[in-house]
Amino acid sequence: MNFRQTLTHGLWRDLPPFRMVLGLCPTLAVTATAENGLGMGIAVTFVLIFSNMFISLLRKVIPDKVRIASYIVVIATLVVIVELAMKAFFFPLSQQLGIYIPLIVVNCIILGRAEAFASRNPVHLSMADGLSVGLGFSISLTLVGSIREILGVGTWFGMAVFPDSFEPFGFMVQAPGAFLCLGLLLGLMNAWSRRRGEFFIQT
Amino acid sequence: MLIPAMILGGIAVIAAVGLGVAARVFYVEEDPRIKGILDLLPGANCGGCGMAGCSACAAAIVEGKAEVNACVVGQTEVARDIAAFMGMEMQDNEPQVACPDCQGGARATRKYEYGGFDDCRAAMLFYHGPLMCDHGCLGLGTCVRACQFGAITMGDAGLPIFDPARCVGCGACVRACPKGIISIISETTKILHWNRYSECLAPCRQKCPAQVNVPKYIEHIKNGEFELALLTVKENNPLPLSTGRVCPEPCSLACRRQIEDEPVAINYLKRFAADYEMNSGKRLHVPVAPETGKKVTVVGGGPAGLSAAYYLRRLGHSVTLFEQMPDLGGMLRYGIPEYRLPKAILDWDIQGILDLGVKVRTGVSLGRDFTLDFLRAEGADAIFLAVGAWRDRELGLAEIKPDGVISGIKFLELFQEDPLTRVKGHAIVIGGGNTAIDAARTSLRAGAESVTIVYRRSRDEMPANPVEIVAAEEEGIQFRFLCAPNRFITEGDNLAGLEVLGMKLGEPDSDGRRRPFPVKGTEEVIPCELLVEAVGQMPDLDFLEKDGMPTLPTTRWNTIDAKEETLQTDVPYIFTGGDCFTGPGLMVEAISAGRFVARSIHYYMTEGEIPPIEQRQTGLVPESIFDSLVGVLPRPKVHEPVVSLEDRLGTFKEVEGTIDEEDARYEARRCLNCGTYCYDQELEAERAEDAESIAG
Amino acid sequence: MDLFLLVIGSIFVNNILLAQYLGNCPFCGVSKKLGPAIGMGVAVIFVSTLASIFTWIVYHYLLEPQGLEYLKTLVFILVIAALVQFVEIFIKKQSKGLYDSLGIFLPLITTNCAVMGIALLNIKHGFDFVEMIVFSASSAAGFALAILLFASVRERLFISSVPVAMRGTAIALVTAGVMSLAFMGFAGMTN
Repeated sequence: MNFRQTLTHGLWRDLPPFRMVLGLCPTLAVTATAENGLGMGIAVTFVLIFSNMFISLLRKVIPDKVRIASYIVVIATLVVIVELAMKAFFFPLSQQLGIYIPLIVVNCIILGRAEAFASRNPVHLSMADGLSVGLGFSISLTLVGSIREILGVGTWFGMAVFPDSFEPFGFMVQAPGAFLCLGLLLGLMNAWSRRRGEFFIQT
Repeated sequence: MLIPAMILGGIAVIAAVGLGVAARVFYVEEDPRIKGILDLLPGANCGGCGMAGCSACAAAIVEGKAEVNACVVGQTEVARDIAAFMGMEMQDNEPQVACPDCQGGARATRKYEYGGFDDCRAAMLFYHGPLMCDHGCLGLGTCVRACQFGAITMGDAGLPIFDPARCVGCGACVRACPKGIISIISETTKILHWNRYSECLAPCRQKCPAQVNVPKYIEHIKNGEFELALLTVKENNPLPLSTGRVCPEPCSLACRRQIEDEPVAINYLKRFAADYEMNSGKRLHVPVAPETGKKVTVVGGGPAGLSAAYYLRRLGHSVTLFEQMPDLGGMLRYGIPEYRLPKAILDWDIQGILDLGVKVRTGVSLGRDFTLDFLRAEGADAIFLAVGAWRDRELGLAEIKPDGVISGIKFLELFQEDPLTRVKGHAIVIGGGNTAIDAARTSLRAGAESVTIVYRRSRDEMPANPVEIVAAEEEGIQFRFLCAPNRFITEGDNLAGLEVLGMKLGEPDSDGRRRPFPVKGTEEVIPCELLVEAVGQMPDLDFLEKDGMPTLPTTRWNTIDAKEETLQTDVPYIFTGGDCFTGPGLMVEAISAGRFVARSIHYYMTEGEIPPIEQRQTGLVPESIFDSLVGVLPRPKVHEPVVSLEDRLGTFKEVEGTIDEEDARYEARRCLNCGTYCYDQELEAERAEDAESIAG
Repeated sequence: MDLFLLVIGSIFVNNILLAQYLGNCPFCGVSKKLGPAIGMGVAVIFVSTLASIFTWIVYHYLLEPQGLEYLKTLVFILVIAALVQFVEIFIKKQSKGLYDSLGIFLPLITTNCAVMGIALLNIKHGFDFVEMIVFSASSAAGFALAILLFASVRERLFISSVPVAMRGTAIALVTAGVMSLAFMGFAGMTN
């Protein structure tokens, strides 16, 4: 992959979590509102970029046997930083996201990119990859969050979009809505891909 | 600052040391490849692949239960690495693809209309599915849904269509199919497979000694896929050009169409497909399995030997072919005259076999130039004796034969050695087989004024191909039926005529053939200058008496004795088959024997034991015998272009031509595409309507 | 009584999977067949209880006294990863049968957010030792229950004709949504 491809592949071709069906937990958990989704997306993007950077830098130093453990340490350290930073600067958001912030550690996307990309590519490419996948993830999360917020509460980023007479269907902001919304979006995306003649396997 | 670092470091050290010790203390042996793949996998243990973690995924990949691209985290990069890692070992394996065993599907008769759940397994729960046929595809598409790779689609005919380019041979469809009619098949499996009673077999396919999948290749021809048609033929027959010309079509005797109509001209179609390849000038790629390192020696370069060499080579064994004559082909070259099988065409067929990497040594004779012990000492793991039946039977009319008397095979050989050989005067050929007709038609072409065939039974009993008899009659050859040679009339050393005796047929004997009896006082002399004795052949087994040969038992028919079900002789590494085992037979039988021996030798060399074929089909499958057909309207069979009589005499130009593409596709449409039960009634009715509308 | 409510609450009302969205990757991955789903469920119960005990001890007796609460993410993941791997190696050696039925699911759990999530929730809710054990085990049991039910549903889904685009994960998620809706019915129980 060249630099341009690396920079763009996360936005459609490998768009998480639709194409890489990974990192479903935050996608489901924190997308009750668009704002939460975006916040989570940015946090993941930050961790992705820097974990990719450090791992790419250290890829020749880390022995093969303990690489996963090392990656986890790197990722966990970054997550702690994000956690503390959010507490300091975006306290309400960090309260909203709750334990899902520390759970970024176990988000497969980050470990997956570290292993599949950063561990075998130079720093600039790895960071581009992190940015690309992170942005894709943020967009997806914001999209899911927007849909759920608009339908479930009737607002978008806190701004009212429907007149007061609109009765929001509350279950959209709750767990069932999350599953349903993600499932239908995934189906739509599959249908769209099939129409475009793209072929990919989804398990 | 210090304390957090110490605590973290402490935990890390404890964990690392603990795990390191544990990994040593609790070490368990496992396939090293699992470790290799595990190293390539991301190790995130996320479960996205559907397996329980990366090590389970690696194990599944090694076992072939999962695909190299199973990991969703790793994406293409990881898949490529794993493919490369497995590739080093995968190269040793043949590619395997899924293919359906049913060609009937929805057109089989129904027990009831099924309106339930759209799933074959669900349908199977009700009285074993809605079809009368045990083998039939239910067409509800369970396999389509089971395929993760989009390689299966449901065709218009209610049968799944497999895309070999997308199929990875994972077997998901095989597991999903409740009827068990999908198999993951490699070329090796196809070569080693023999018809079983439990299979869905069209009658022609049962009748063909080589078990060629006739309906399948006709279907391909119908669709204009001539290359696929030929590849189908080549699965069971490596000499399609030659068989396409000389085979007497035992298959067409079983053709179900002849219940209402003429049988399908199966051999014309085979010939058409084979000629299509030759005329294109480009050989189709025939896959060969990876080398096994086993060596086989085939003695005899006739159809049986060539066929065995072809299949053994395709199974990955190293094959050396020994032939006593200067050129390969055996009876095809030396026994069948040019006008029936042009040698250039035979050469193309043979070259196709040699191109696979068969080593050849011609002009060396078993017993004279080498011995079986020598072959064994040279490192042959198995030997196939396919020496054919080259010794002419003799009438024994005279101790010393006068000049002008020659045996059938020797006579035909003359023309192979020197195509310009001439004969003069009147010629008589004794015998009623193909060799007799060949000798008669050959002498006519070589300048004989007239040719008479003397046969002691009647025309109906002649074993020669009916087409040949008709052609001989057309060319003006006289037949003296119920007429046996009695003695030679000589002038000095030269032959002047043959005294014959009239015969009459008695009651059918135990073989069902009516034995002829001489009628006293009917002696008659037919003048002639040339007499060809073509009264049958038998194997020449003199080499067995020589030194350096293991003791091989023979039968009272002077053939080599071997076990019927394996073709293995009493000496385990020696196999036999073809004419030297059965006595003179058809070319297609020799080809069949070649593949059968290849199977036996393959198992003998790789496993030591030759497994018997369960439920091996020998007679017709009872279910497949019909006595009536519904919806079949007679439609005339195509005819091959034939060279005019004037052009035939005096030359050895090939008499029969190949049908053209239009005729081939017309003829292919005459095929009912039978299975054990099903044939396409509706389609047949539609065609009849079309034909009528064109005619009207 | 409180403990009983805790059990009911964590299995049904706040089902870790369907209400708290934790452990979704294996939920979608391993729930295609009933057999593996059972194995996965049992493995999660075992590991998350064990992990919770270790992390709780580490947190309360190591991190808290030193004022290092902020390190809990880092320390927990280390402890869980090492623990799981140790258990896996141990079972693999000691009991082939147990390993085949259960052990192969263990590595899957390292990055299972359910296990990590339960460990973090224990701290967040400030449970004492007994509550912690009850909560961990019953939350994990909730996970096992959900994945078991879900696998049964998916086995039937496999033979139904789903629109092409919705096949696989998409329909699985929608199904999970419906199931989650059903679990919402328990919400009134503890209040």
